[in-house]
Amino acid sequence: MKIFCCKDRFEDILTCIYDAWSCALKEGHNNIRLMREPVWQQSLFDEYIHVDADREKTEKVIRSIKKSISNQAYFWVFYASLSVEEDALQSIYNFLRVGFAVGAGVCSMYANPHVMRILELKRRIGNESHYFREFARFTSLEDKAYVCHIEPKNNVVTIVAEHFADRMPSEHFVIVDDNRRVAVVHPKDEELYLMYLTEKEFDVLSRSEDFEDEYTRLWRTFFKTIGIKERENRACQRNMFPIWMRKHAVEFKE
Amino acid sequence: MNEIITDYTTEEKLNILADAAKYDVACTSSSSDRRGKKGFLGNTKACGICHSFASDGRCISLLKILMTNHCVYDCRYCINRASNDIPRATFTPEEICELTVEFYKRNYIEGLFLSSGVLKNPTYTMEKMCETLLLLRNKYHFNGYIHVKTIPGASDELLATAGYLADRISVNLELPTAESLSKLAPNKSFKTILEPMGKVSDTIKAHRVAIGKDARMERSRGNMYLSNSIFQSRQSIERQEGITEASVKNALVPSDGGKLKRSFAPAGQSTQMIIGATDESDYTLIKTTEKLYQSYDLKRVFYSAYIPINEDRVLPQIGTPPPLLREHRLYQADWLLRYYGFRANELLSEEKPNFNELLDPKCDWALRHLGYFPVEVQRAPYDLLLRIPGIGPRSAGRIIYGRRYGTLDFDNLKKMGVVLKRAHYFITCNGHRLYNTPIEESYITRQLIDTNGRDNWKVNNQNNTYTQMSLADFGIG
Ligand code: SF4
Repeated sequence: MKIFCCKDRFEDILTCIYDAWSCALKEGHNNIRLMREPVWQQSLFDEYIHVDADREKTEKVIRSIKKSISNQAYFWVFYASLSVEEDALQSIYNFLRVGFAVGAGVCSMYANPHVMRILELKRRIGNESHYFREFARFTSLEDKAYVCHIEPKNNVVTIVAEHFADRMPSEHFVIVDDNRRVAVVHPKDEELYLMYLTEKEFDVLSRSEDFEDEYTRLWRTFFKTIGIKERENRACQRNMFPIWMRKHAVEFKE
Repeated sequence: MNEIITDYTTEEKLNILADAAKYDVACTSSSSDRRGKKGFLGNTKACGICHSFASDGRCISLLKILMTNHCVYDCRYCINRASNDIPRATFTPEEICELTVEFYKRNYIEGLFLSSGVLKNPTYTMEKMCETLLLLRNKYHFNGYIHVKTIPGASDELLATAGYLADRISVNLELPTAESLSKLAPNKSFKTILEPMGKVSDTIKAHRVAIGKDARMERSRGNMYLSNSIFQSRQSIERQEGITEASVKNALVPSDGGKLKRSFAPAGQSTQMIIGATDESDYTLIKTTEKLYQSYDLKRVFYSAYIPINEDRVLPQIGTPPPLLREHRLYQADWLLRYYGFRANELLSEEKPNFNELLDPKCDWALRHLGYFPVEVQRAPYDLLLRIPGIGPRSAGRIIYGRRYGTLDFDNLKKMGVVLKRAHYFITCNGHRLYNTPIEESYITRQLIDTNGRDNWKVNNQNNTYTQMSLADFGIG
C-alpha cells in the first residue's frame, strides 16, 4: 500500500490528491491511501510518500473539480479540508472518485456513503463556524484594533474571519486560533491575510485577552439586568450555552 | 416629571433602562441578508444570530433598552406606568449610539432594540427616537440590525422615518380585545394601535413592490406546497391583491422625502400580546394571531406570559407564577399556523376554547381526527405528512425527497428526523406499522400524555429549552 501524506494546509492537501490520483491511475485506487501529517503510527509494510504543496497542481485540481463536477462540490471539498477528523483527506478523495465518475449529480446522491461523509464533515464545519459567529468576543486595544481568541476544533478561523470582515469592513481586527497558533489579520478597508505566529507574537497577542474596558463592564451590567428573575432558568441557560463554551464569553467572568 | 435632569452614569441608566425593557420578548435579529460595506459597521443575516443566553435561558441577540422609562401613560400592567414610584432615567441619543456600536464591535450583540415610555407626548418621544436612529445610521455609520417599537399616537411622518431607519418595526397590540385594552391601558385604543399597524403594513407592501419583490413577506418555503395555509387563504390573497394599489397610495412618506435611501422595514413588522393579565381564551388569542398574520402580514406575533409586578385589583396578584406552559402552547400553535398549514379554528373552537395542558396542540388535533390515520408515509402528500405528530417541515421534506429514490423503512425515517416515539401511532410505512398498537383514542392519548408529560413538567418547572423558538424545541419538529 502506498500512503500519500502532506501537511494540513489546503494547497498541500490538493497537491497530495493530485499525486495520489496519478499514482492510482497506474496502481489502482484501492492500493493507495491518503493521510495528513503527523502520521503517528507508521506500519512496516506500507510505503509513505510525503507530498509538498505545488501551486500548479493545486490549480489543476481546483479547475477539474469545478469543471467536471461542480462549484458546489468544490465548496464541499474546501470545507471538508478544514475538518479535524482523521479521515478527512481520505474522505475527500473518496468523494472525488464518485464525483469524477458521475459529475454534478454527485451532490444529490444522499444515499452514497462517501457523499454522506463529506456532507457530514461540511456540516460540522458549518456548525462550528456559526458557533463562533455567535460566541466569539473581541477586546478593544485602545479603540484602535480589536482582538479575538478562539480555540476551534476544526480549522475554521478563515471562515470565521470572513464573516467578521463583512461585518466590520472598516475596523482593524485580528482573530487568533490559539490551538493552531495562526492569526487572520484584517487591516481596515483591506483584504484578510493569514499569519503563522512566532512564539513571541503569540505571547504578545495572548495578553490582549485580559484587557477590559468600560464596555466590558457595561456589557456585564446589561447581561445581568436583562434576565427576568421570575423566569429564572439556569438549566435552560446551561443547555443553550454550556459552561465549557463560556471560556471567552466575558459576561460570565466575574 | 418629564426630563428631570439626573446625574445617573451611563451604567446606572443602562441598569434602569434594560431592566424596564426586559419584559418585551422579541429578541430576534433575523432579517434578509444585508452585506457589510466599506466605511460602515455591520451586516444582517437571514438566520439571525444569538450572542448569549440570559439567566432566564432566553437568547440575547440585541441591545434591548428603553430610551426612557418616564411615561405619561398609566397602563396598569406596566412597571413604567406614571403612577409607579420608581427610579427614572433617559438616555441621550449619543449614549445609545455608543453603546450599540461598541457592543457590536465586540460581538456582544447583533443590533439595537429600541423602545420607550412616553416622554411628554407620543410625537415628542418618537421624534427623539428617530433622532437617535438617524444619528446611529448616519453619523455612527451603523449598518447592523435595528428593531424599533413605535409609540401609538405618533405622527405618520415619524412612523415613516422610523420604518426607513429600522429593519423591523413593531406596534404592540398588548391585549387581544378592545375591552381589555380600555380596561388596562386607558390611554391606548385599538384605533391608535391598528391604524399605524395598517399603515406600516401598506408601506412595506408598496416598498416591496417598488423594489421588485412580491408584496407579501417571505414565509417558510414549505408554505408553497400547502394549499390551505393561512397565508394562502382566499381572504388573505384577496386582501393582498386588491391592496397593492391602495398600499402605494397609503404608503407613509418620511418628512425628508426619499433622502434616507434605505429599505422600509425589510425584516417586517411584529407585535406582542400579554398572556394571562386578562381572561381571554386561547381561542381568542390564536384567532387574533391568525387575523394579524392575514390582515397585516406580520412577520411574527409574540406572546409574553404576564408577570405581576404591580399591586392592582384588576390584575393577578404579585407572586402569581407567570403562565409559562400556556405561553408555550401558544407558541406551538403559532408555529402550526406559520409552518404546518393549520388554521386557528382547527386547533380550538368556541366549545373548546383552551389548549390541552397535557398534550401539545398537534397531538391534540391528531387525536381528535383519528379518522385520517394511519397515514402511509410512502405515498402521503406533504400537507398530510405535516399533520402527523413527530413529523415536521424538515423531515416531511426529506421523506418526499427520499422516497423518490426508493422505499423507506422505519430506520430511514428515524435518520430523516422523524420522532418515532410520537409518530409510530399514526403511520404505516409500506403497509407496516412499527408496533401493533391500536388506533384508538384513549389508548394513544394515555401513551402520548406520558411522552408529553415530561416536556410539560419541564415547562412548568422552568427547566425547558424553548427560548429562541426552534422547531426541535417544540417536540413537534
Ligand atoms: S405607554 Fe404604557 S406600556 Fe408603554 S411604557 Fe408607558 S405605561 Fe408602560
